[in-house]
Amino acid sequence: MFLIASQATVSMSVKILFACLLVALIVCLALEEKLHAKKSVIAGLFAVVCLFLGSVFQILPFAPVVVGSQPAAESAAPEVNESHAGGQHEGGHQISMPVYIPAINWGVIAIILGSSLFVDVTSKSGLFTWIAIRVTKASRGDPLLLLYFYGTMTVVFSAVLNNVTAMIIVGSLTVVSLDKLNLRDKLLGFLLIEGLLTNIGGLLTLISSVPNIIVGTAAQISFMEFFLKASPYVVLATIVTLILGARLFGIRRIRDAEQKAKALEQVEGFDETDGIESWGFFWFSAVMLGLFIITIATTSVLPFISDLEMGFVALSFSAVMLIRYKAEADQFYKAIDWDLIAFFMSLFVVIYVMEYAQVLSEIGNGLQLVLSDITAANASAADTSMLLIGSAGFSSVTDNIPLAAMLANILNSLGTPHESGLWWSVIFGANLGGNLTPIGSASTLVAVTIMHKHRVPMSFGGFVKIAIPYAVVQIGLALVYVLLFLR
Amino acid sequence: MTNLDQFESVFKSADRQPFSEEPINLEKILVVTDGDATQAEELNYQLRQFFGGLENVIQPSYSSLMGDQFSNVKQLLEQIEQVQPDLICTVRNLHDPIPELPYSLGAYVDVMTQVISCPVLLLPRNDQWSKTNEVMAITDHLSGDNHLVSYAAALTSPGGTLVLAHVEDEQAFTRYISTIGKIPTIDTAIAEEVIRDQLLKEPADYILSCQQALDQRPGHSIEVESVITLGHLLEDYKRLINRHEIDLLVLNTKDEDQLAMHGLAYPLAIELRDVPLLLL
Repeated sequence: MFLIASQATVSMSVKILFACLLVALIVCLALEEKLHAKKSVIAGLFAVVCLFLGSVFQILPFAPVVVGSQPAAESAAPEVNESHAGGQHEGGHQISMPVYIPAINWGVIAIILGSSLFVDVTSKSGLFTWIAIRVTKASRGDPLLLLYFYGTMTVVFSAVLNNVTAMIIVGSLTVVSLDKLNLRDKLLGFLLIEGLLTNIGGLLTLISSVPNIIVGTAAQISFMEFFLKASPYVVLATIVTLILGARLFGIRRIRDAEQKAKALEQVEGFDETDGIESWGFFWFSAVMLGLFIITIATTSVLPFISDLEMGFVALSFSAVMLIRYKAEADQFYKAIDWDLIAFFMSLFVVIYVMEYAQVLSEIGNGLQLVLSDITAANASAADTSMLLIGSAGFSSVTDNIPLAAMLANILNSLGTPHESGLWWSVIFGANLGGNLTPIGSASTLVAVTIMHKHRVPMSFGGFVKIAIPYAVVQIGLALVYVLLFLR
Repeated sequence: MTNLDQFESVFKSADRQPFSEEPINLEKILVVTDGDATQAEELNYQLRQFFGGLENVIQPSYSSLMGDQFSNVKQLLEQIEQVQPDLICTVRNLHDPIPELPYSLGAYVDVMTQVISCPVLLLPRNDQWSKTNEVMAITDHLSGDNHLVSYAAALTSPGGTLVLAHVEDEQAFTRYISTIGKIPTIDTAIAEEVIRDQLLKEPADYILSCQQALDQRPGHSIEVESVITLGHLLEDYKRLINRHEIDLLVLNTKDEDQLAMHGLAYPLAIELRDVPLLLL
């Protein structure tokens, strides 16, 4: 996807027109709820308009694409599209394909599609509900332990699964268990903390959130490098958020022995085996989940697999899991979040057109004016801070994926070195900005949806008011962490 | 399965209502009869025989209220209020001019089952009841009814059998499935299968927890038998009672709205004239 656009001159009026389209897309995504429109429809319409106008202004490359070529030995020229026809590559053959096909980053789509299918089928084994109920029982029904355990579980699930699935699993269990323990008045605190922690957990691994995948792939950060660099922050931010949450929402331990016994009896009423249809499939799923994490973590160093990349791993594991449900696999295809997939594909198309309209290079030029040195291996403290805070602010009002895709593309094309702290500024900012507002991330939106479903009043302003201390602390910690350890 | 409602359903399904035995207090038994002192004494003697197998579990004191001690419902309630019994034992169609009236329990019994908080043991007007070896507890919603099961278990003689029965109303089920059949967005075959399974799973889980808890009781071993089916409420319960040759039937009568005796209990109480009924 990270192609270098045609060097053909694009007039300023055309650049302005496409820049306006990009701004309009971002505004529409921010107003998604008000427009009552799905992200895929919004981005899809913009993709259609961008492609059409790109064709009208003749800025898109419609020449056949060369596939299977190897760079010529004597050539050190960049892999530009034009180079394929220009003899800088050897071998391969030309094929015609619609211009929007190479626009899409199929590696990212494969990771998202494969991971969600894998998680969906694994869920069917009852593994995640088993873990969730065992964690509930381990708390013995004590509210403070329950908050700590659920918070930790949210972070782990967000890292291993995805933020939205993690919020759905932990959020729905929270509702049921707090109802059982007669702690309904604590529901707001629990759901809010869990919502905020999904974005912390989303920072743990390269595949924990879409911005991580996009930016990490562009910066060539491996799974293990990502994990080792991000995990200390995740642990620290989780502890601080939980302690702050327990204090601000008055969630305390039970002291009375009789109440303790009653709470224990209530949580013991949960049967963790209820959702398990087959113990064989349960253990198979547990082993496959472990293998999935190990394989994803080591993809970059595994022979043969490294060339096929993480998307292949995710799709392969989902295919193996689907063998158990081979006759009803269509039910899992229906459960895929096609809105999200179509949104990504449309977004990639829009960004591809913006690249050829040279809007991204203009934004890059603007960034170069604001930031002192984008290409420095050790980015300056001012640049790192500005990019992190700017990314967080932007992500708080609109989707963080366009931001991640756009900035990854710009930093890549401007030659930002892979060890630069600016990549981490984008990653931390894009993930944590979602904690400032309820629309900042899909998982906080799910948390608010659960609140509304269970008649816990929560307005936009109300969320911001309650969440801001946590978000400020988390972003502040991230800033210090990136400046001290990742720059 | 990333749907919010799906996960909430999974966790709600995993949330069991295990049986927890309630303490049953049967220290004071009041025998209310419409006969004279001799008849009251005979009834007392029969009751001692009836509860004879439970001597190790309950040792009640008996008192009697004879027919000449009250002439209207108000007087009866006042007398009962003074005694404050844990259990009232009485006969069908108490003080009724036609004691064998087949379509009523009589005004006194009707009032007692609704107004008085303590349980009423309604006895047949024959001598064919002398033991509590086979006790059955029934309700239209068995899961979580610890009160009902605790009474039934307490009154089952050691070594006897407690039958916990749950008949799910097939007519109501068929009606809902036929409505679902008219909704294009719901797969009728799947809905029929999963709703039936879930409806029967809940009482099955509960009865299993009753079996486990009652097995662990020291010194009062009883066998717990489970009957769970989808069928016609009245017909199936009658069939089950006859098949198991039930000595005592335990059922709830208090309606939450206190408009009348509980929906299922009244027709059963009317029809089952030869079985002692414990009306809670």
